[in-house]
Amino acid sequence: MTGTRHALRTLRREWRLPELRTLIAALLLSVIALGAVGTLAVRVQRAVVMSAAELIGGDLGIDAASSLPAVFMRHAQTLGLHASALAEFPSVAFAGDRSQLLSITAGDGAWPLRGKLIVAGPRDRSRVTHAPAPGAIYLDHRALVSLQLNVGDRVQVGGMDLVIAGQLEQQPGGGDLIALAPRAVMALPDARAAGLLGAGSRARHRLLVAGSVNGVDAYRAWAKANLPADAHLVTPEEVQQRLAVAFGRAGSFLRLAALLAALLAGIAVALSAQRYARRKTDEIALLRALGASSRFAFGSLAWTLAVPALLAALIGAGVALGLASAAFAYAHDLLPASAQRAPLPFGPALAAACVGLAVLAGFALPPLARLRSIPPVAVFRRNIKLAPQRFDLLYALPVLVALGLIALETGSWKIAGVLAACLAGAALFTTLLTFAILWFIRRYAVRLNPSLRLGVSALTRRRGLSLLQSCAISLGLTALLLLAVVAPALLDNWRRDLPPDTPNWFVVNVQAEQRAGVRDALDKLGATHFNDMPVAVGKLVAINGVDVERVPFRGQDVSQEASQQVRLSWNCTLPPANRVIEGQWFAPDTRDAQVSLDVAWLRRFDLELGDELEFLVGNQRVDARLTSIREVDWSRFNVNFFVMLDPAHGKALPHTWIASFYLPPGHAGALAAFSRDNPNLSLIDVDELLDRARQIVGQVTAAARWVLAFSLLAGALVLAAALTMSAAERRHEAALLRTLGARRGQLRMAALCEFGLLGAISGLTALLASAVAGAWLAHAVFRIHAFSPPWPPLIIAAVIAAAVVAALGLAGTRKVLHTSPLLLLRR
Amino acid sequence: MDDGRMHDGNRTDMALISATGLGKHVEGPTGRLDILDDVSLEVNAGETIAITGASGSGKTTLLSLLAGLDLPSGGSVRLDGHVLESMGEEARAHLRLKLVGFVFQSFHLLPALTAEENVLLPLELDGTPDAPARARDALASVGLRERGAHYPYQLSGGEQQRVAIARAFVHGPRILFADEPTGNLDHASRDAIADLLFALNREHHTTLVVVTHDPAMAARCARVYDLVDGRLRAHAA
Ligand SMILES: Nc1ncnc2c1ncn2[C@@H]1O[C@H](COP(=O)(O)OP(=O)(O)O)[C@@H](O)[C@H]1O
Ligand SMILES: [Mg+2]
Repeated sequence: MTGTRHALRTLRREWRLPELRTLIAALLLSVIALGAVGTLAVRVQRAVVMSAAELIGGDLGIDAASSLPAVFMRHAQTLGLHASALAEFPSVAFAGDRSQLLSITAGDGAWPLRGKLIVAGPRDRSRVTHAPAPGAIYLDHRALVSLQLNVGDRVQVGGMDLVIAGQLEQQPGGGDLIALAPRAVMALPDARAAGLLGAGSRARHRLLVAGSVNGVDAYRAWAKANLPADAHLVTPEEVQQRLAVAFGRAGSFLRLAALLAALLAGIAVALSAQRYARRKTDEIALLRALGASSRFAFGSLAWTLAVPALLAALIGAGVALGLASAAFAYAHDLLPASAQRAPLPFGPALAAACVGLAVLAGFALPPLARLRSIPPVAVFRRNIKLAPQRFDLLYALPVLVALGLIALETGSWKIAGVLAACLAGAALFTTLLTFAILWFIRRYAVRLNPSLRLGVSALTRRRGLSLLQSCAISLGLTALLLLAVVAPALLDNWRRDLPPDTPNWFVVNVQAEQRAGVRDALDKLGATHFNDMPVAVGKLVAINGVDVERVPFRGQDVSQEASQQVRLSWNCTLPPANRVIEGQWFAPDTRDAQVSLDVAWLRRFDLELGDELEFLVGNQRVDARLTSIREVDWSRFNVNFFVMLDPAHGKALPHTWIASFYLPPGHAGALAAFSRDNPNLSLIDVDELLDRARQIVGQVTAAARWVLAFSLLAGALVLAAALTMSAAERRHEAALLRTLGARRGQLRMAALCEFGLLGAISGLTALLASAVAGAWLAHAVFRIHAFSPPWPPLIIAAVIAAAVVAALGLAGTRKVLHTSPLLLLRR
Repeated sequence: MDDGRMHDGNRTDMALISATGLGKHVEGPTGRLDILDDVSLEVNAGETIAITGASGSGKTTLLSLLAGLDLPSGGSVRLDGHVLESMGEEARAHLRLKLVGFVFQSFHLLPALTAEENVLLPLELDGTPDAPARARDALASVGLRERGAHYPYQLSGGEQQRVAIARAFVHGPRILFADEPTGNLDHASRDAIADLLFALNREHHTTLVVVTHDPAMAARCARVYDLVDGRLRAHAA
């Protein structure tokens, strides 16, 4: 017998032990947090990837900066394929004195070839259809509401009056899942006639084909050989891959947040295991004295933990699946229609169960394994101490498990190391702060009240335990506060921190001959801070003479990015909000072409000063040497460019102009006439884009907040585990105090003080830590110079935390307070 | 398991327990503490011996050495011919399982197991067939037939010690070590426990090594030793 039966028998009573329950609860929590998040992330990712063909709108697409030559359409038709052309671009629509930035798709009568365009008519009948006939437009619900229009009304886009022929309910997207602006669909000939699709218009042109597999393959081969320089093929696989990467990243972030909860729960596991190990010391010693082999003794110990752990992991996985399904059902209207058929994946929940068990093993093993050194003589000596080991390698196990799990999630030991170091730093910070606060209270505050003194001494006597608890609670709370309170404040501040007249409108596709007129017209409307820059659209074709397609970039996504179009600009002087950090800004009239890059672009493509970059703009090639590196403050909302050429060589390229200006809020209606007079211009409302971005960030952080709530629960479990650790000692103290004549109320007051203090310390540390982290983020990432953390909500959160911890502590020690003084006599 | 067995002697004339020149010292905070010093003792099969001495004189230490729970700093212990110092801890555990039973002053029943399951423990460790029936018989013979399903906390001290005795003899060990078995009990229970132990000796020929403070109990043993200053002295009968 290897101890299984003994284990099961012991469990029958031991499953009631608080430490085992805490241990199991911690495991459950880890598995549920990891499993629910993992399942949901994978399911959403699959759902989105499944609908990739639908997202493209055809079996194969060609994306280009300008409209493709007619031969591309003709060749598809000769191969017996269906073909369709479309363009996508942002533009502002006007109705009366209202305006709204729209994300517009202009398609021909055949679009879409795959996926469904669903439009509701005036009497609410939905129908599947194609792009509207010239003169008509479909607007989505958001656009209709913000322009206060109904189906049948007229709206002005690109200087044309269009009839709203239906409400857009569903459309194949261009691979952007989340539209930055309300959507509209119009006829391609209209957009072309209005001049909205010019070279500098930011319009993305796309040709779609669909048909037999062989036909599509043949077309792909032909297109590949004949592709213009500024075009690239878009396949469902490629879109799938890109989406998978994007969702992988978002999912990874959420899974890391869940992992934080699991690792915090690991602390509760470690504490409970230690308590359990202490309880089992006598049993192991007795079994050894009775002649049990160590295999029996440790086998039975392992089984007593393994049986409930396996059960809990399975139950946790089940609950995780349930939660993920519920969340998926709740979020389904955010996803494309066909995505909802994505099956529930079981892998992530099972993986979560395994990770949970790994956390359990990693954190519970060290204290339990130390039972091995219990000698059988310990049956005679209750107080025999485990031989103190100077350096127990076993205690590196939880650290390794934590590192390994983070590395598994991020795919990099380096990132894992950095993240773990950050966690360790945060823990160190909370430790030091807790120490300081405890010291301060002991020194100055204890004279106030005897109950307070008792409470404080309880905290300081079990200092290690107090530190661990406050660390765990405040780490969970810090993460939550950072995301729930500080991040939204940062985003708000970011906008508010800008000078009040920061440009809030962009206008693109300005032709050289329109420049002066546009400026005058805008001046008359009351626009200020007008600033325009030339822009040429091209492609990077070679680095140091090597074809970009053959440059070994760091990853697939980097290579793909390198093959996309680049906007180039030029200027004699260094634009505002730009700083040269290496090299020299262009001298006037350089003989050879020179280029200046933003440092982010430089790092992404692993370039360095002196590199030779070849760009293709239209049919002109520019060979430019990299002579300066800039750092651009993107938060300023000026027109800025990653790539700038020296003006002498830039001027020679085909280009248009992009302008930014400031128009006081509420004057957008005045732009309607301007837009009518200049139909080829696209107006972009920055405020609205920012609002929408903030909304999206809000949705993502809301999801993360739910995940981080798990870490707060984990913090509560650590508290519970610490309470079971100290329960016996507390009971003894309470009995002693009762014998000495303490009233129950006094004991309760002392406990209230103890846990209230613990909560206050955790709350205060979390408050300070999140404020410091917020200030750092503001300074280093958002470059906000006068960021003041949102103190009122932070303080309220800290106070609530203190109250909750005090309540939990009181609830957890309720039994202790009712300890009879007789306990002392019976012992 | 026979690695420590002496092959040169004839087992039947050899003492069941034989200790020679046992010494035990520990390193304390104030330096070396000598607990036992040159203790020798021979116990034959079926004998009963009592070890008495002041509290802290080293009785428990001696018992733990004799039973192979701990190893001496010097000297040697042979148990049924096996030289304990030359065996590993696993081998000694196996020898204990086959050869000895224990009764402790503080009972040491496992709180998570019922009385019957506690008694079952040595049988199950040994993989004995019909273990439950034998455990029930053992419980019955200590007068606790009806209490098998009770947990230790539901039993009185005397009853717990009777369960412990049942556990100590259920697998038929040849030696029973008892460390102040009546130390935590009232008068009436003391006599009952002592009766049970000596009945075992009479009926099953079990060798009894009892550490005790109780003069009445010591008087019922064939030989009595006094442990003074780390040395064993035969008590004048
Ligand atoms: N492992 C040990 N470490 C330190 N002191 C010990 C150890 N084992 C026993 N002692 C000491 O040796 C002495 C004898 O202990 P023990 O054998 O338990 O005595 P008894 O059972 O006769 O009361 C006591 O003073 C005890 O404190
Ligand atoms: Mg003793």
